[in-house]
Amino acid sequence: MSAVTLDTGPTVARLSARSGVRTARTVALKVVTAVLVLIAAASVTFFAQLLIPGDRATTILNLKTGRAQTYSPSELAPVKAKFGFDHPVLVQYLHYVGGLFKGNLGTSYTQYRPVTQVIGSEIVPSLVLTLLALVVAWVLALTVTLLTVKRGRVATALGSGWESLTASLPPYWIGVVLLVVFSVELRIFPVIGGDGVSGTVLPVLTLAIPLAGFLGQVTRDEFEKVLDQPFITTARTRGMGDTAVRLRHALRHSVIPAITLSGWALGALLSGAVIAENIFGRPGIGQVLVTAVNTRDVPTVSGIVLVVAAVYVVANLLVDLTYRLVDPRLGARS
Amino acid sequence: MNTSLHRLAVIGAGAALAGGLLTACGSSGSDATGSGTPVKGGTIVYAHEQEPPCIFGGWIQQAYISRQVLDGLVTEDDNNAVKPWLATSWKVSPDGRTYTFTLKPGVKFTDGTPLDAAAVAYNFDYWENKGGNSTAKVSMDPYYKSAKALDPTHVQINLTSRYTPFLTLITQGYFGIQSPTALKNHSQQQNCEKPVGSGAFTVADWKHGQEVILKRNPNYTSWPATAEHQGPAIVNEVDWKFVADGVTRYSSLTTGQSNVVYDVPTTDWAQARSKFDTTLYITPGKPVSAYLNTIKGVFTDKLVRQAFSYGADRKAAVETGFHGVIPYEGNGAVSQATPDYDAAAGAAYAYDPKKTGELLDQAGWTGRNSAGYRTKDGKELDVKFPYPAGAVINAEGSTVLQVLQQQWKKVGFNVKLIPATQAEVFSGKYSGPDAYDATPFYWTSPSPSILWIVWRPSTTADPNGNNESFYNNAQLGQVINGANTATDPAKAAALYKQAQQIISDNAATLPLYDQNSTYATSKSLKDFWLEKSQGEPVFSDAYFVK
Repeated sequence: MSAVTLDTGPTVARLSARSGVRTARTVALKVVTAVLVLIAAASVTFFAQLLIPGDRATTILNLKTGRAQTYSPSELAPVKAKFGFDHPVLVQYLHYVGGLFKGNLGTSYTQYRPVTQVIGSEIVPSLVLTLLALVVAWVLALTVTLLTVKRGRVATALGSGWESLTASLPPYWIGVVLLVVFSVELRIFPVIGGDGVSGTVLPVLTLAIPLAGFLGQVTRDEFEKVLDQPFITTARTRGMGDTAVRLRHALRHSVIPAITLSGWALGALLSGAVIAENIFGRPGIGQVLVTAVNTRDVPTVSGIVLVVAAVYVVANLLVDLTYRLVDPRLGARS
Repeated sequence: MNTSLHRLAVIGAGAALAGGLLTACGSSGSDATGSGTPVKGGTIVYAHEQEPPCIFGGWIQQAYISRQVLDGLVTEDDNNAVKPWLATSWKVSPDGRTYTFTLKPGVKFTDGTPLDAAAVAYNFDYWENKGGNSTAKVSMDPYYKSAKALDPTHVQINLTSRYTPFLTLITQGYFGIQSPTALKNHSQQQNCEKPVGSGAFTVADWKHGQEVILKRNPNYTSWPATAEHQGPAIVNEVDWKFVADGVTRYSSLTTGQSNVVYDVPTTDWAQARSKFDTTLYITPGKPVSAYLNTIKGVFTDKLVRQAFSYGADRKAAVETGFHGVIPYEGNGAVSQATPDYDAAAGAAYAYDPKKTGELLDQAGWTGRNSAGYRTKDGKELDVKFPYPAGAVINAEGSTVLQVLQQQWKKVGFNVKLIPATQAEVFSGKYSGPDAYDATPFYWTSPSPSILWIVWRPSTTADPNGNNESFYNNAQLGQVINGANTATDPAKAAALYKQAQQIISDNAATLPLYDQNSTYATSKSLKDFWLEKSQGEPVFSDAYFVK
């Protein structure tokens, strides 16, 4: 699902019926692909969870008591009947996928709530956290890159040093340090933030800082290459100032790899948000996912994977669109 | 009589071992003795660790919170005596099979349903026969027979035979009484999220992943005999927050964002004792001890089990690993906080590497391979040791196991530690005779009758999945059953101790440390206490001072 798939040939199209049809076909193709990707994601998760050693009915019984033991078939039978585990796996699977088309993600084995409700109540704080982290990471990365790339040895070293450092820091460590400094010592932000505004700052930074380092490294490499390109020299010979060259010419070219990565980063942030959520006692889908995996709550895990997959798909569509905004050559062809 | 825990904490600064309960109090600050004006109302913010799937259930995490919402028939005081709660009095028939409880009249559930004998009988049936609470069920099996309402205020519980620990066992939170109207008419989801009881608080809202909001029940009439004050809760609200990270939990207290925190990291314990009111609760029941697989692998030989027990300095490892906060437990059958604890069994198998060598020689493990491990007929002395990492064996517990692993290596055991995730543990991946040679777990219970649950021999007709050492000793079963059904408390105690001796003599389990819970409370909050049976926090008497 990269920009290349849109590259349908060099024909310069006017606004015509043909191009309209082609656009509709492209969109339809994209939607069908997206739906297939989602079903595939749900199916893989469904079967992967059944393949893990251990038994779902045993887990349900052990969870009710906080124990770890085996049960006799007669003890397991009522649980299996209740949750439909006594049906063949294929029947269970078809039932599950059939439900997906009706918007039914099943019912949590442990909370007895519909999975849509389990996810619905937690998805908003997660999306807020994820999107803000991505935005902040971009701002941090661009600021550092623009200020330090090819600005003399000291500035460059500082900039790339900062990026290497932050890109390699584990989020858990960053989170605890931010917590101790800003919540415990300086008391600027609450320790248990919840999903309020002041409680969102530190979790966002926890996720944004390492990502900023990563995006910055990629952008810097590209930026350095672009600044050596002939068209930059041309621009400079036209008398364009350094800042203008950087912002108007070099930046556009050098952010493309980072945009590609952002599609991935959005999904990774969403599923990896659990670290920030844990440290700052913040509700969110990451916590729910970890609990659901721990308790082998198959419908909940599948549901969350489905949502994360949907976010990936949407993010990649956005990335495709962004390419065209950043690189007019792509827009002209489609 | 009704000395509550926090009071002990104030009196027994240091290390009083009162009724098996270790309490410790911080060196007193100026307001530690309770100066300041009590205020009515307010919100207690409590930072707990784990979020259970439902409020009510058979897991201790559920008992902690359902205790706030549901009342029990009886409760236990700090001297292990059973005291009135919803039942004002009770009579036991001479043959010990019939318990007749007289209920406090006029008590209503928060949905208006009368809390009468029929409601209590309904709950017993719900736990035992309708899957209502598997821990309640396993605590009564096979002694429970039926429950019957004699009249609105008298309920009769019939047992199949005498079962002396019965009253003590029903003091646990698993036996909280719920409104039969709600159980019958509400959906499973409603009863999971907002169970209806007669307790001091009601569940107002559950923000999953974040907190449960408990609101004061203004019409509360049914406080236990152990309560610190008569009447509804003094505060308006308890915000029961789930904060998984220990650093965050403790920091929320130091910054004043919470008033009470659960499970203080042991590295912060010394500081917590000097700044806050603290309680260290040693949980009665089975301590954290490893089941040794007696039917498959190297530990089928009793001599090897004993050699393993002698082979590492468990006491020193526990004291170092937990920074001296959590006590070593030498009795693998029951913890030191359990009634009828046998101290002699707890003193067995002190570190003695020489003895390990002798026992292994005797058992035929005489060879040594190039790695230094003992061998027998060319086979290495391997011990597969999966452990439930996380909630059961935390980071400090894992460190203890790693230290022990090094010491066992020196005496010739190749111990393979396998950290098992919660999903693996609960799914039964590491259950059953093929899955391990040794694996640790605990089981809380206010009564030594926990021995019956864990060590009852497993038979084909009546399998016992809880006997995870697979140690089927008919004599042991008889001794425990004899204790459970004894009329004379002294005789029961002697038999329970004998059972602990048998388990220890046969090294059927490897003792490690006591299960426990720690709490730290800000000094502006008074009369917060823990009930005795398993350390459930009680907020209904707590109040703030200015």
